[in-house]
Amino acid sequence: MLPSKRPSDAAAGDENGRGGDARGPGSGRRRARAAAGAVTAAPQEIDEDLHSRQLAVYGRETMRRLFASDVLVSGLNGLGAEIAKNLALAGVKSVTIHDVKTVKMWDLSGNFFLSEDDIGKNRAAACVAKLQELNNAVLISALTEELTTEHLSKFQAVVFTDIDLDKAYEFDDYCHNHQPPISFIKSEVCGLFGSVFCDFGPKFTVLDVDGEDPHTGIIASISNDNPALISCVDDERLEFQDGDLVVFSEVHGMTELNDGKPRKVKNARPFSFSIEEDTSNFGIYVKGGIVTQVKEPKVLCFKALRDAMTDPGEVLLSDFSKFERPPVLHLAFQALDKFKKDHGRCPAAGCEEDAHSFLKIAAAINEASADRKLDTIDEKLFRQFASGSRAVLNPMAAMFGGIVGQEVVKACSGKFHPLNQFFYFDSVESLPTYPLEPQDLKPSNNRYDAQVSVFGSKLQKKMEEANTFVVGSGALGCEFLKNLALMGVSCSSKGKLTITDDDIIEKSNLSRQFLFRDWNIGQAKSTVAATAASAINPSLHIDALQNRACPDTENVFHDTFWEGLDVVINALDNVNARMYMDMRCLYFQKPLLESGTLGAKCNIQMVIPHLTENYGASRDPPEKQAPMCTVHSFPHNIDHCLTWARSEFEGLLEKTPNEVNSFLSNPAQYAAAMRKAGDAQARELLERVSECLNKDRCSTFDDCISWARLKFEDYFSNRVKQLTFTFPEDAATSMGAPFWSAPKRFPRALQFSAADQSHLNFIMSASILRAESFGVAIPEWAKDTSKLADVVNKIAVPTFEPKQGVNIVTDEKASNLSSTSVDDVAVIEDLLAKLQEYAKMLLPGFQMKPIQFEKDDDTNFHMDLISGLANMRARNYSIPEVDKLKAKFIAGRIIPAIATSTAMATGLVCLELYKVIAGEHPVEDYRNTFANLALPLFSMAEPVPPKVMKHKETSWTVWDRWSVQGNLTLAELLQWFADKGLTAYSISCGTSLLYNNMFARHKDRLTKKVVDIAREVAKVDVPEYRRHLDIGVACEDEDENDVDIPLVSVYFR
Amino acid sequence: MSSPSKRREMDLMKLMMSDYKVDMINDGMHEFFVHFHGPKDSIYQGGVWKVRVELTEAYPYKSPSIGFTNKIYHPNVDEMSGSVCLDVINQTWSPMFDLVNIFEVFLPQLLLYPNPSDPLNGEAASLMMRDKNAYENKVKEYCERYAKPEDISPEEEEEESDEELSDAEGYDSGDEAIMGHADP
Repeated sequence: MLPSKRPSDAAAGDENGRGGDARGPGSGRRRARAAAGAVTAAPQEIDEDLHSRQLAVYGRETMRRLFASDVLVSGLNGLGAEIAKNLALAGVKSVTIHDVKTVKMWDLSGNFFLSEDDIGKNRAAACVAKLQELNNAVLISALTEELTTEHLSKFQAVVFTDIDLDKAYEFDDYCHNHQPPISFIKSEVCGLFGSVFCDFGPKFTVLDVDGEDPHTGIIASISNDNPALISCVDDERLEFQDGDLVVFSEVHGMTELNDGKPRKVKNARPFSFSIEEDTSNFGIYVKGGIVTQVKEPKVLCFKALRDAMTDPGEVLLSDFSKFERPPVLHLAFQALDKFKKDHGRCPAAGCEEDAHSFLKIAAAINEASADRKLDTIDEKLFRQFASGSRAVLNPMAAMFGGIVGQEVVKACSGKFHPLNQFFYFDSVESLPTYPLEPQDLKPSNNRYDAQVSVFGSKLQKKMEEANTFVVGSGALGCEFLKNLALMGVSCSSKGKLTITDDDIIEKSNLSRQFLFRDWNIGQAKSTVAATAASAINPSLHIDALQNRACPDTENVFHDTFWEGLDVVINALDNVNARMYMDMRCLYFQKPLLESGTLGAKCNIQMVIPHLTENYGASRDPPEKQAPMCTVHSFPHNIDHCLTWARSEFEGLLEKTPNEVNSFLSNPAQYAAAMRKAGDAQARELLERVSECLNKDRCSTFDDCISWARLKFEDYFSNRVKQLTFTFPEDAATSMGAPFWSAPKRFPRALQFSAADQSHLNFIMSASILRAESFGVAIPEWAKDTSKLADVVNKIAVPTFEPKQGVNIVTDEKASNLSSTSVDDVAVIEDLLAKLQEYAKMLLPGFQMKPIQFEKDDDTNFHMDLISGLANMRARNYSIPEVDKLKAKFIAGRIIPAIATSTAMATGLVCLELYKVIAGEHPVEDYRNTFANLALPLFSMAEPVPPKVMKHKETSWTVWDRWSVQGNLTLAELLQWFADKGLTAYSISCGTSLLYNNMFARHKDRLTKKVVDIAREVAKVDVPEYRRHLDIGVACEDEDENDVDIPLVSVYFR
Repeated sequence: MSSPSKRREMDLMKLMMSDYKVDMINDGMHEFFVHFHGPKDSIYQGGVWKVRVELTEAYPYKSPSIGFTNKIYHPNVDEMSGSVCLDVINQTWSPMFDLVNIFEVFLPQLLLYPNPSDPLNGEAASLMMRDKNAYENKVKEYCERYAKPEDISPEEEEEESDEELSDAEGYDSGDEAIMGHADP
């Protein structure tokens, strides 16, 4: 899932001076605990199947630290529940949930653990069992007595969501001064307003400030100068910034730089930079060299809450259109605390008296705050704040639950940059555009009371009656269903929520797709999620489908289905499906709420008919792929090796067996197809099939070992020898430059040795998978390396002679175009004849078993073979090898994912959903957001309006459509455009061309009806109920300028 | 720039306006063949190749996939698959480029200035570096043998080729500033 359309990477806030002391209190604490033997349990092994997506974000080290952390979450309102959920999913050692309050109807608007049956029970006690279900590896317990500082000492991090300021000061003082310090977080959501405060102690070490891999570069030259200028090869832009520290390795000539000493970057440019070093007297640069960024730990000095309250410093901003807002909210939250202290309760919704006294308190606090005094108090905003302050709204809880959950992970692990120290946020734009009357906000003793107190009962009714389509039931989908159920969306018989997903539940889903449990593995995601969501709110009117949203399912998601929808929520993990949904929403003019996450990053985009541009209007550049020649012969990093390994895996174990099977199933048809193709590719396929059935056929496990051993020789020795024979180390280009220059790395052949464990592991996985593909029984000893070594050592390996093919000048055959250019057709005939013979020697009905790469099964040897292939190749080229886990992330294209950013994204989307369902909001009220919890960074902006196009008096956007009435012929249609002063030069339907004025043969179509041409050429059958056909028309105006007209609907019946 | 949905049609149109012969397969716009002539004054002059062009859903954001269907001897073209290793068609593609750029500039440049330092056909690259004459002879023999107009005439099964209006000429247009470099 890509967070698409990332705004220009805003840099991490680098506010504090750096300190070199790696022994910050964070690491000191952990060391102390370990030394004291405080951790009694044996170090737990990480369940890598369960946590693979999260491991891809955090790495093993961070996960281990998390596993050793005890966390307290105090205040089990909606926010506390979200935080506890995220921590249980992340896998800390223990979560203790604390509360002294009892469950009220009011709590049901935000806390998804609670049901009406829980009313009257202690809030923490009521949540324990359901929280435990999320992760059995985490110790969950409830604490229901009044909290004292003694309770706090056993935790690494404590979180408070429902605490008054005096108590907070007391606890924070204790945590701040504790040895080692305890990380303290206070967070609150009050209606559409939220706050977070972090204090991780006087000296906290951040081990990884941004979670990004260290940047690297391949050196092309280094000057003897002061400062020295380093140029890098121009195939990849450098991403160093001034001030970064880098180390050098593999530099030839100027070997002084290989000393491992970090050097500071300056004048960073796309392909060069300088370092603070006088290299005038160093050796002269010859060749080679890699430069790698060194990530330095950073020490942060947090202020205690007491001090930070009066001197909050720089407050993290989320929305640049609300530049002045943080100090205002800082005051509002203080005023609320005072109000609660005076009245023993929050201000009541819509109560003028309470609003008045709240304003008075705020004014008094403002007067008393010396140098931070606000000039004026925005009365309207403060009234809004007071009126909704008691409500813990689910979307706000989801958003802040994500943020706070991440801060706890940072506190426990030192991974990512903590929030330093306050964060304030509001979403007042989510309020309806019409005025809310006090009687409209009154509670009616149902689960939506809290939400009604903010938005009024009119919007509540509209939400309950909404017809919603959620596409995808993965991580985002689960969070959305929980949110929608709590908000009451589609929770009446008049409303309906349709969710669809064609996927089934796997173990690796469970670490964040929190509606699923162990026992659901193998079941349909949408059905299980729908059942779980109905348990949260039994009124939810939900229909779960298993259809992928794509052109093939338009009979399920037909016009009538679409026309009845009020809003579409994407919960997808790929761009293609997003593009498809965008296209459908555009067509049916439905609002589309889009979101995506990538590790700690998330992105949400609002697509609102006629107000905003559509999703497809802007795009990220497609992922960069390594050039073919690099992957084939000149890899220079492990990604290249893994790409190669995956393609070899597919070729050997999937494609070739498939090819063999299609030959064996129907030899005549297969031969005919190959003859028809008659090209080099067909010939190559046949050669592979032929090898598989003759020379390389395996009937015993020993055959498989032999094959694996010879493959090793071929891949890691013979091919390298051939390549270095063709291009010797000293080869020069026609211009005289060395052929083997950066970024190319000169390879060296491997000498097989049964004593080398990695060689043997390759043999083991390759022979086991080969046996599987041939249906050969795999003996017990196959996994015994010493036995394997015995067999391998007995295999005769022919010596390899590089082919002389290229020195053909003196070769007689050269003039006749030797082996490579013998007629493919003749070779194909020959191979086909041989295949017939080989087939006769097989058992009747013999088929191979193609093996499809499956990354998530640790026992299937797939990743073993792929990492073996990649690492041996890396060894050929002296590229650093990777472990199996890292190999799995890269080769399996595992998308890093964590619960926190997912939860936050859905919270942000649901804040927009209030606007969409209420309707009538101007575009200025909507927000698109990009956030990165690792930095942390929040960047919210108004959506971009759609581009307006014009021709003569008509103007339109992508949301418009042109309608043509009547069953027109092509000629009549062209005339219709001509009457508008447009020349239609190309007309298409789907991806088929109906007409192009350059094609003479298309002139025959002029007299035909457009709909008939579409039937004939595009094979489009317009369903009975639809009266129109949609076509794309490319036009020019009189001045031959292209005019980008909207989709054209021909109403032919 | 026009909306992506129109780009296929516009680009195809521009290509035909520039007198390239295009073979469509059942009027689909996802995949078609373009006749490409070796640049004048190059060792590939006289050769003609049928180049397969695939435009994915993501075109023009994603580059088109380009492959020679009849054989060509060139350091940066895979002999078996006909795949081209060229940075402007792969790594540095921009949605500002179109099909005319590919056939007027990128491919002619590639044929005029092969880059043996980043070979896809190692044998061709090595030969070019070691023995220019032998290399040129081999290129010409390949042209002679595989790249005659009759080698690319559409097979009978393929319906309706679009013969009209397009006899290729004028590949020497050097006025475009965008140059292609073989992939690093």
